[in-house]
Parts: sequence; structure tokens; C-alpha cells
Amino acid sequence: MKETIQILNGTFSHLAPEAVLLASVCVIFFAAPFLVSEKGDAPAGLRHRWGWFSLLALLIAGLMWWQSPLEIKSIGPFVFDELTWYIRGLSISFGAILVLLHWNQADDARSGETHACLLAILAGVNLIAAANDLVGLFVALELVSIPTYLFLLLPRRDAPAQEATLKYFLLSIFSSAIVLFGMSYLYGATGTTNLAGIHAAFGAAHGLQNPLVTVATVLLIAGLGFRLTAVPFHFYAPDVFQGAPTSAAAMLSFVPKIVGLVALLRLLVPSAGAESAMASWSTTSAATFLLWWLAVITMFVGNLLALMQTDIRRLLAYSSVSHAGYMMVGLIVGLEHEIQKTGLTQAAPKSVSGIGAMLFYLAVYGAMTLGAFAILIAASKGNRRIQTLDDLTGLSKTKPGLALVLSIFLFSLAGLPPTAGFLGKLNLFFAAWAQGYPSSRLLAVVLAINAALGSWYYLKAIGVMFLRDPIDRSEQPSAVETPTLVAAGICLAGTLGLFFLPGWVWLPIQNIMP
Amino acid sequence: MPSLLVIMIFLPALAAIAMLLLDPSATATRARWVALLATIVTFFASWAVAAQYMSLPRVAIANHGPIHPQMVLRHTWLDLSQAGPAAPGVKFEFYLGLDGISVALVLLTTILSISSVLVSWTAIKDRAAEFYACLLILETGLIGVFCAFDLLLFYVFFEFTLIPLFFLVGIWGGPLRRYAAGKFFVYTLAGSLVTLLGLISLVVHVAQANPTLTTPFSIPDLAKALQDMRLVHEQSLSMTTQTTLFLMIAAGFMIKVPLIPFHTWLPLAHVEAPTAGSVLLAGVLLKLGTYGFLRLLLPMLPEACSTIGLPLIGWMASIGIIYGSFCALSQNDIKKLVAYSSVAHLGFCMLGLFALNIEGITGGVLQMINHGLSTGALFCIVGMFYERYHTRKLDELGGLATKLPLLAVAMVFTSFASIGLPGLNGFVGEFLCLAGMFRAGDGLGVVFAALGAMGVVLGAWYLLGVLQYAFFGPFKAPADDHGHSHEPITDLNTREVVALAPLLGLCLFIGLFPQPLIDLIRPDVERVATIYGDLRSTRDEPKFAASEMTRPSEALDTEARP
Repeated sequence: MKETIQILNGTFSHLAPEAVLLASVCVIFFAAPFLVSEKGDAPAGLRHRWGWFSLLALLIAGLMWWQSPLEIKSIGPFVFDELTWYIRGLSISFGAILVLLHWNQADDARSGETHACLLAILAGVNLIAAANDLVGLFVALELVSIPTYLFLLLPRRDAPAQEATLKYFLLSIFSSAIVLFGMSYLYGATGTTNLAGIHAAFGAAHGLQNPLVTVATVLLIAGLGFRLTAVPFHFYAPDVFQGAPTSAAAMLSFVPKIVGLVALLRLLVPSAGAESAMASWSTTSAATFLLWWLAVITMFVGNLLALMQTDIRRLLAYSSVSHAGYMMVGLIVGLEHEIQKTGLTQAAPKSVSGIGAMLFYLAVYGAMTLGAFAILIAASKGNRRIQTLDDLTGLSKTKPGLALVLSIFLFSLAGLPPTAGFLGKLNLFFAAWAQGYPSSRLLAVVLAINAALGSWYYLKAIGVMFLRDPIDRSEQPSAVETPTLVAAGICLAGTLGLFFLPGWVWLPIQNIMP
Repeated sequence: MPSLLVIMIFLPALAAIAMLLLDPSATATRARWVALLATIVTFFASWAVAAQYMSLPRVAIANHGPIHPQMVLRHTWLDLSQAGPAAPGVKFEFYLGLDGISVALVLLTTILSISSVLVSWTAIKDRAAEFYACLLILETGLIGVFCAFDLLLFYVFFEFTLIPLFFLVGIWGGPLRRYAAGKFFVYTLAGSLVTLLGLISLVVHVAQANPTLTTPFSIPDLAKALQDMRLVHEQSLSMTTQTTLFLMIAAGFMIKVPLIPFHTWLPLAHVEAPTAGSVLLAGVLLKLGTYGFLRLLLPMLPEACSTIGLPLIGWMASIGIIYGSFCALSQNDIKKLVAYSSVAHLGFCMLGLFALNIEGITGGVLQMINHGLSTGALFCIVGMFYERYHTRKLDELGGLATKLPLLAVAMVFTSFASIGLPGLNGFVGEFLCLAGMFRAGDGLGVVFAALGAMGVVLGAWYLLGVLQYAFFGPFKAPADDHGHSHEPITDLNTREVVALAPLLGLCLFIGLFPQPLIDLIRPDVERVATIYGDLRSTRDEPKFAASEMTRPSEALDTEARP
């Protein structure tokens, strides 16, 4: 009993950032209803107070994260290693940006709950990164998806938002069920829910050929592919992005990507000390094959459909689909590398690891996509938000600063120097090519073709802003809110800064994949 | 205190950013004075850098690899090692430097930038601050390409130039500007992505063969490593690998040059671009392609260059010369005519480079400079009379020489330079290119050289045609049917003379005294050409090649002076 309590104490100290976030969630959920009258009237400016509260919670969580011990430790259902540390850092810092973007998106009466949902989502992301158990992983996944439904619906409750929420809700439940189904098969094949235990079981049974495992792999990838918006599980993305509030769309463009990729990493790549499982886990070869095709189709479909969009939100949705494909390239290359490394020889240690490239791209992608959404929020005219490409027409004349910054984000998404997007794609290229397997080289070629395809629609958006005259000159440009500008500024600093000083993010990544 | 080299590269961009941030609503007058000042200061900086470079002691060829930059600045950009900072691995670097070829091209860039600011003086009234900012940022990108000695840094600057040029063409261009800008951007981007893959692949090959090399992205180190591999294994890489790499890396450069059949973006972009854009596009941007060939492919993949490159590029270039010239002949729009003449002239340049001997490569580099000067001047002149008459159609103009004698003089002079009249710069470059090609490629070179020589004749035909129709003969000017009310048409004013004078002066100077320029670039050209001398001497005709190659400078001295 005493030992159990000690273990619990130890776990708590490791889980401090999440504990802070979840405690704040509880405080908000408890306090928020008392501040709103029965008719739904709230004191003016309540949303800003909740915003400050969320920022404070994130700041404390961030301090806890920074102080957290760096040794690799696995306690019960949790594991704390470099990957956990890195993903926590990403989710907390980008969480703060999301709070800033959400500043004025919800009305006062409902703002408390939406901020609480956002914090819960971030806590869920952190827990996924720390999960070492199928049950823990699933609960953490649900901790992300259930608040997401509320986060989509609460700020705006008009018909498009409702439709978007409903679509997301149904498909998300479906995908969760699929993930759960896959997990149960994995449990059936190995007899344990502990991920380290599962990997150990695969390591022990050299070349375990169990059809259950194949089914489990396919189901898990399908379920998590939904989070990633991998084609063919992407159908909800454009509709939801179009209907949802802008801050929610920004969240959806980034957070589920971390969720899906990190969950796949946790499932497929054994943590340090169990590398022998990699070679013998027959699922990973099936997994790489499946992921390979998913990545190729995702890139092509995402980019080709994005070419046809006239709605900027749908365009960004498809762009996020294609970027999911780019990141999957890193994952696949990394997986192949891990398999070969332990199975055959130590491959050339001097090349970039695919997983490292993917994690780098994740940070870069967060900065540029959240930045793009920040500008969409900043450029909205009063109550009318930016919906189609035409709404951006001539932005360079009405709001030149915003147009310039948005074009930097778009050039970064297209992968042009001098932006971090270039370096991110370059690392993926380099990783894919340096591993030297024909399949990964083919991926690099596909990536190159898609980078060229993708540049066209980003260029179209830039062209609309700079090469055309404003349609309606009489409109008075409305004042831009400071929090949005701060968020955009941070993203801009990230997008440009990571190009010149990539070491800031690269050093922690180097420690993740030994 | 950053070195003069860094100041020279980033000064224009800093001026542009300062202009946009501090004074976003700058009037056209203020913007162009700032831009003029920035370009002039940059020019002096580049002149000072060149003087520094010239005062450095010469380095013997044998001690170094085929590429040897001086005034080097290196900083680690991203260390990719898996083992963390303890064990340094492959890294990207900010690696700036200069060699003779880059000095020449940087000077060309800074001179042309001043002219392009001057020719935009009255033509650009709308959004002037942004226009000059784009122009200055483009200048930084261009200088950067020539000073970058890390593959990635090179590629970064190479790609970066697309962005300001996209805006220059797209915002201030002609009627089809949006389409032209988009096509130019996506076409060249697609090509350069293939190049990027090829470069990465080359680096990976070399890094695998040399496990101790931590800087395979540095161009000199990479070239040295390949040279060492050649000494050990006879060939650096297998022939199939080299061929694949050659084709991949060349893809982006072929589009940039442009070689037939990848030239279709060029006439469109040129015609739609504003005058300053055309000047820099023709004068410097196209050179990025030829410079890429010279800097990356010739020293690094010599076997592929001599077996695949020579016939392939030779055919593309010589067909380009003929085809470009015929297209130029049939144009009615003078700007388009000049654009097609660029295709032809860069064909000469490529012929020279792929002659793979010292005369050819020297000629190729000279031709890069000459084409920059003479075509830059031609585009300036076209812009000047377009500003006056609002038309560029040959059949609407005639006898301008009577009205605008100074402009006509400039046009005649520039045309002669472009045709390659002895005594002007075009002659030196084209002669060396063709002479180099004549000796190259086992008989095939003679064919290419002969086709190229035909191109010279055609070049005289179309350019003299322009002179005859537009500048001489009975006077003809368009009526005011273009919707513009003419101001009284006057001859060149001081500003325009100042814009043209340095270009024309240099054309004459290089034509009469090519030796200083040749001396500047010779050591670096020799470094590259030596590889091919060695290649040939190890193969079948050792005596001939050795004797020819050991005394290249004397051979040049006699040939280069017209």
C-alpha cells in the first residue's frame, strides 16, 4: 500500500503540467455557470478574463514542463521520455497561441466552457505523448476528441457550425470505435495492454505471424488516419473547416495532426530498450506498406483538390490534408529506417532520421498554419469573416501588413526559402533520400511533385492579395485585435526564426531518436 | 563588424525592409531616391569587395579542389548529427565566399541594378515603394547566389529570387501579367525541385563514400571529395549514377537558362515584365542557370558532362541558337524579339561551357557577362521608347533616328555589341565559345560550332532588321490610338543617358580590353578545365591534351585579342 502511494506521488510529480491544465478545466467548468445569469447575460469582457485565466494556466503548466526531470522513466501506464517532453512543449506553446486566437471568437456567456475545452484538449495531447498503455492511450485520445465537439459548437451555433460539429462528431465516434476495436485485437494477440509489454511480446516471439495483428494494424491506422486527415479519412475536413469558427478550424488544422502522429509513434516504435521488437514485429512492415500508400494518396488528393478551391478555408483544409501526407513521409521513412537498423546493419548514422524530420516539420507546420489562420481572423471585416478567396482580394492595398505576413506564411507552406517551411521539407527530402531504400526514394520524388503542385494554389491566394484591386474600396478596415496580432507575431517569429536558427528545435529532437 | 561581403549582400534587402517598415506610404520620389542610393552604395561595396579580392595573393591550382573560394565566411546553420553536439555530423552551413567568376557576376548584378532603378524612374508610379523594395530584395537574392558556397545556401538564394520577381512581373507587368508570373514561378519551381532532389542525392552518394566528411554540402569540399574519389577509383561515381544525377541536377538549370524545349516561360515573362524586371531577368537571372552548370555540374560530374552533357546540351544549345534566332526574326514585338534573342545568346554561352576546355569555358563566362550588359541595355532601350510611344510593334514605328538621335545611337551601338561586331564585347565571348566548341567533342563539336556560327549570321539579320524598320527609313509613329496622350516626345534625358552609359561603356571596354576580365576569371576557369584535361589525358590522347592544357594562358592571350 505504501509503495502504491509512493508510485502515485511519483507519477503526480511527472504529470504536473497535465494536472495543472485539468485542474483549471475543473475550475472553469465549476465557476463559469455562476458568472452567467439564467437568461444568458454575462458581464462584458468575461471572455477576456477567461482568456487570461487560460494563459495563466498554460504559463504554470509551461513552467512545470520546463522544470520536469529529463530522465526517461516509465511509471505504470505512463512513460516520460524525450518525445513526451518535446510534444508537451509543442502543445503548451501552440496552446497559448490558440488561446490568443480564440480571444474574441466566443461570446461572453459561453467563453468559459470553450476555453476549458481547449485546455482539456491540450492536456489530452500531453497524455497521448506520455501514454504507455492501450487504455491510457485511448482515454487520452477521447480526452482530445470529446472536448473538440464542444469547442466546435459552442462559439457559434448557426447552421453551418452545427452541421460541421455533427459531421465531426459522427465520424470521430466512428474512428474512436475503430481504434478501440484494433486495440482489443492487439490485446488479444499479446495478452497485455501495456505498450512496452506488447513490444516485448513481439520481441520475444520472433516473427510473430498472427492474423489478429494484421487486422489490429489496419484498424489502428485507419482510426488514427482520421485524426491525421489522411485520405480516404479526410472527408470531414473541408466541411468542418468551412463551417467551424476560425479558431476551431485553426485548432483542427494542427492539434489532431500531433495526436495522430504521436499515437502512431507510440504504437509502432518501441521506446528505448526494446528495439529488438522492431525487427520482429511483423505489423510494422504491413504498417509501412499501408502508410506508404496512404501518404502518397493523401499528398496527391490533398493538393489536387486544393487546386480547385475558391473558399480559403476549404483550401487550407486540403492544404492541411496534404501536409499530413508530408509528415507521414517522415514517419514511414523513420519506421523503415528503424526496421532496417535493427534487422540488418546500422545504416549510415549521419543522415537525418525520418522521425526527427517529421517532428521538426510538426513544429514548423504549427507555426505556419496557425499563423495563416491568425491572419484570417485579423483580416475579417467586423462580423464578416474571411470566407472565400475573393474576400482577400486586394488585401495588400487595404491592409498591406497583414497581406505581407499572410504571404510569408503561405510561402512557408509552399516550402520556399527563407522560411522554416523550406527547411522542414528539405529535412523530409533528405531523410527520405538518405535512407536509400527504393520505396523511400520514390516517396521523396512524390513529395517533390506535390511540393510543386502545392505551390500553385498558395501562389493563387498570394496573387489574389497582391495582384488584384480590392473589390469594395468603400469598406473601412476594422481595427485588428491585439491578441490576434500577438499570435501572428509569434508565429511569424517561429516561421522565420526556425529558418535561420533551426538548432533551437533540432537539438531536443536529436535526443528523441537515438 | 560584419565583413564587407555580408554588407554587400544584405544591404539592398535591408534598405528595402527599412523602406517598407519606416516609411510605408513613401512617395514615388522618395522611394526611388532611396533605391538609387541603396543600389549605388551596393555597387561601391561590390567594387571594394572586388578590389579586396584582386589584392589577395593568387593560389596555385594544384593545392586545392576544383573550386576554391576566397574571403570565406562559414557558420554552422544546422547540424544534423544524430549523436548530438558531441559528435559533429553532416551540417548545413552559411558559407559565403568569392571566386573570380562570382566577382565578375556580382559586379554585373550591381551595375545592372543601378540601371534598372534608373529606367523605372518615371515608368513606375503606382505602388512605387513596394516596387523598389522588390527590386532591392531581388538584388540581394542575386548577389547571394553568386556568393553562396554551400549547396543549400545556393539553393536558398536561387529559389528566393523567384519571390520578388513574381511580384515584379505580377503587379507591375503588362496585360497578361498574372498568367505570366504564375507560369514563370511554377515552371521554374518545378524544375528546381528536381534539381534539389538531385543535389541531395549527390550529397548522399558522396557522404556514404566518405564517412569522415562532415561538410558534404559545402560546394568546395564536395568537389574536392569527388576529385579525390576520382584519383582513387578512376571514376568518382558509376556512370549510371552520374548520368541520373546529371539529368536531375540539370533539369532546374535547363529551365532557368532556358534551353530548348524548356524556354516557353521566358518570352512570356519577358514581354509582360516591367522594364526593370526584364533587365534583371535577362541580365542576371538567366545567368543563374548557366552559373549553376558551371559551378555544380562541370566540376562535380565530369564524366557525365563529357559523355552525356556535351552531346545533349550541345544539341539543345545549337538548336536553341537557330530556333531562337528564327523566332526572333518573325517577331513584330521588339521586346519579344529581344527575349528570343536571349534564348539564342544563352545557347552560345552553353556551347562554350560544354566545350569543356579552357577557351570554351572562358568564353562561356564572358558571354554571360556580355549578354547581361548588351541585352540589359537592349531591354532598357526598348523600355525607353515604349515609354515615349506606348507601342513596341515594329510595323507601327519607323525612322526614329530622325526624331531621337541619341536613342538611335545607343540602339545601333547595343545591337552591334549584341551581334558580335569585332571591337565590341559580343565578339570576344562568341568567338571564344565557338573556338572552344570547335576543338571539343570528337567531331560533334565542329557541327555545333558550325550551327552556332550560323546563329551569328541570323543574329545580325534580326537585329539589323529592327534598326532598319524602326530607326531608319521614313518616319512613322503611332497615332494616339493607345489611349495615352503623348507628352511631347524628346530625346534621351540625362537620367536615361546615365542609365545606359555604364552598360555601353563596358561593352566597348570589354570588346577592346578583354584581358583584365579574363585574368580575373582565369584561375577558376583553369581549375575546372584541368579536370577535363586530366580526363582526356588519362584516356586516349595524352600528348595532345597535355601540351594543350599546360600552357592555356598563352593560347588564350593570342586568341582573345581581336
